Amino acid sequence: MEKRNDTAKTSLLILPRTFTSTEANKTGSWRYLRPRYEEKTSPCSNACPAGEDIARIEMLAEEGLFKEAWETILRENPFPAICGRVCFHPCEGRCNRKEFDEAVAIHQIERFLADTARKNDSKPVIVGRNEKRPEKIAIAGAGPAGLAAAYFLTRLGYGCEIFEAREEAGGILRWGIPPYRLPLDVLQAEIARIQDLGIPIRTGTPLGPSFLSEARGKYAAVFLGCGHSRPRGLGIPGEDLEGVEEGLPFLASIRRGDMPKISGPVAVVGGGNSAVDVARSVARLGGESWILYRRRREDMPAFETEILQALEEGVKIRELLAPVRLERKNGRFVFTLQPMRVDGKDVDGRGRIVPDGDVETMEFAKVFKAIGEEAGEDWYRPPAEDRDVLRLSNCTVSMKPGLPVLVYGGDLAASLKSVVHAVASAKEGAIALDILFREGRENLSGGLLKCRVGEGPSLSMEIHLGGPRGRRSSHIVSYSEINADYFQMAPRITQPRLLPEERLKGFDEIDLRISANLAIREAGRCFNCGLCNQCDNCFLFCPDMSIHRGEGGTDRWIDYDYCKGCGLCAAECPRNAMVLEEEKGS
Amino acid sequence: MKLEVLDREYMYPGHVACPGCGAAIAMRFLLKTLGEKVIMVLPACCWSVIAGPYPQSTLKIPVIHSAFETGGAVATGVRAALDIQGDTETMVVTWAGDGGTFDIGFQALSGAVERNENFIYVCYDNEAYMNTGVQRSSSTPYGAWTTTTPGREWKKMRKKNIVEALVAHRIPYAATANIAFPEDLVTKVKKARDTKGSRFLHIFATCPTGWRIPSEMSVRIARMAVQTNIFPLYEVEDGVRYTINYKPKEFPVKEYFHLQGRFQHLTDEDLDHIQDMVNEDWQLLLRKAGERTP
Repeated sequence: MEKRNDTAKTSLLILPRTFTSTEANKTGSWRYLRPRYEEKTSPCSNACPAGEDIARIEMLAEEGLFKEAWETILRENPFPAICGRVCFHPCEGRCNRKEFDEAVAIHQIERFLADTARKNDSKPVIVGRNEKRPEKIAIAGAGPAGLAAAYFLTRLGYGCEIFEAREEAGGILRWGIPPYRLPLDVLQAEIARIQDLGIPIRTGTPLGPSFLSEARGKYAAVFLGCGHSRPRGLGIPGEDLEGVEEGLPFLASIRRGDMPKISGPVAVVGGGNSAVDVARSVARLGGESWILYRRRREDMPAFETEILQALEEGVKIRELLAPVRLERKNGRFVFTLQPMRVDGKDVDGRGRIVPDGDVETMEFAKVFKAIGEEAGEDWYRPPAEDRDVLRLSNCTVSMKPGLPVLVYGGDLAASLKSVVHAVASAKEGAIALDILFREGRENLSGGLLKCRVGEGPSLSMEIHLGGPRGRRSSHIVSYSEINADYFQMAPRITQPRLLPEERLKGFDEIDLRISANLAIREAGRCFNCGLCNQCDNCFLFCPDMSIHRGEGGTDRWIDYDYCKGCGLCAAECPRNAMVLEEEKGS
Repeated sequence: MKLEVLDREYMYPGHVACPGCGAAIAMRFLLKTLGEKVIMVLPACCWSVIAGPYPQSTLKIPVIHSAFETGGAVATGVRAALDIQGDTETMVVTWAGDGGTFDIGFQALSGAVERNENFIYVCYDNEAYMNTGVQRSSSTPYGAWTTTTPGREWKKMRKKNIVEALVAHRIPYAATANIAFPEDLVTKVKKARDTKGSRFLHIFATCPTGWRIPSEMSVRIARMAVQTNIFPLYEVEDGVRYTINYKPKEFPVKEYFHLQGRFQHLTDEDLDHIQDMVNEDWQLLLRKAGERTP
């Protein structure tokens, strides 16, 4: 008995047993590369002139958090329902998903979120500054730029007052865009949300040039978003004949509800969106639309989708035809036109056109001119840059002594004439004024740099207000930085749309709503470039148990005592929300 | 990806696996799924080292380090001891490398599964004797450089198909798994856990050191092994019922080979030949699974 116990004791002694863990080995000392969490900037948000946080919006939409996604848009853009419809979505052109299969239909999701919020009568929580500022700001023009400026400045704590010459607010959105692209009730709901912030809009109140000097004392600044209203002439004989109409007033009359009957061939001179809108409206009213453009079709400034839809609706386009003169014969217009050809390049990169051969004539029952507009009054125009006048990306700030600070925004100062550029100019102007009033003129350019989305020029109000978006790096994620192995090919949704013959029956909106299911699926196609969606790949694939997660799995950190720097976490991050850097130090 | 077993952790940090070690990832997934009621048998392999130099252990479960050739036999003994104690809850898992499975431990494994011993045998496959300095094993693939197949003497034999060898024993469950496909791996570990008798899991585990690849590519290479059909994900029940778990888009194998230092010497003709072998194996597997072949 004694002996057996001894044997047992001995065998216990000779069987080596571990009694401690490997935690004493700080394998972090092996590391020469250091992973780090770093959210980055998505190319779409950089391409969006309004700097919308698109990668985040799609992430929220995919999770079905439609209201939160909509509020995320509203941080940067007061007009999701409008921009979801009429914006030319430069975001989609830069979408990394394009390299994989097709770009995400960002504008359709934006419109879906806005329409859903409206259907549910959602009241957004609009992030802003709590304390009120003493400065009052007058805004000239209730177009997209003026409305957006009031929206941003109010959120920054400034009291605003909008002056509008016409009987209703909305500017080009109200009077220039036909209802089949932007229904009136959609516009009115967006304007109402801005008014709900307590911003008075004084309609029917045109301002004169003396306003700027009179405003001193009452207003610390004036934002001018007066837009283009005076049509440019063709400069040809006969352009003022009776019956030759301007495009914009025609569109305005349709917006007002007048539906003149039109028949026979109708010429629309011009190549911009207004020309296409006029031609498509004429087609709806019974006319036979001909767009006459002096350059090539590919040079037309109108959006490609608009041109394609116009063609579907039976609008005919004659390119490389310059107007020479207009005459009236037997109740018809005889249009003399000079065929052109392309010869070299113009300064703007478009083909330079020169006359080519003999003139030709075409007969029309009606002629519309839609070659663009210029500033309605000379004082709307931004002054030339000097010591007191600062030209920014999309607006001009004038700080001349004896006058309130003047910010020229909208079409008169933006780099491109579009609704979203008007929003961009309003945001830039609002942030510039805020920096001027709070931190002084010397901090203006530095302050604007801080709220750039990526490399700019688009700016973020969320960053300016100190939101978490400011912690992201300005690095713009490229497709090669996405781990595409984690994504499945999936076709982009097609926009449900009225058939051409249905469209021609009236001015109903032609792009139809998409279902929540489709919106979620489409948002799920987004790579969410540069953002962490808590997929846990970093945590799962760490061979060294060095990624830790906080309560509820929301927070993550790296234990550098043990991280060997293998880089798997960063390489397997589908969305490039991590970086791997050379280890510095000893 | 969302896995239910995410939060459990049965490994300590501070182990001495190379950076980016696929075998460490494989062990983590296995234990996260099985939990703590496990006795592990560890024949000589990389993991003998990773599990900790005496007196340390990196695993929070009991481990028996055994001789190279005895993975099957030691597990048989541990199981018998537990059964005598009336402990049917604790699982016995042998965790061996490809050397201890394909070569040195093969007879003990074959004997144990022929007796249908009630245990799980996991082979984490890094395709050579890595911890002794990258010597070729019968798991080393055709075309690979190792220190015993250097230069122009690169390995000219095919990799042994270990799963088919085990399937030939008609064991209740045999399956392949891969560190780059955690959901599939976890599902198979659960299935093995819930099956009685001999169960065999063949887990593809990248070795950055021996394969001559950057450590951060470890998971990507493993994923490509599946995407190119070099390492198909499938399972076999009772030696006859085949299920292919993942049908890849069938990328050309050369994309997998070009990324690895151990295959740098291969010419386009070699790669074409390898592609033919991979296609042949895949067609054979499809036929076994009763799926239509073109």
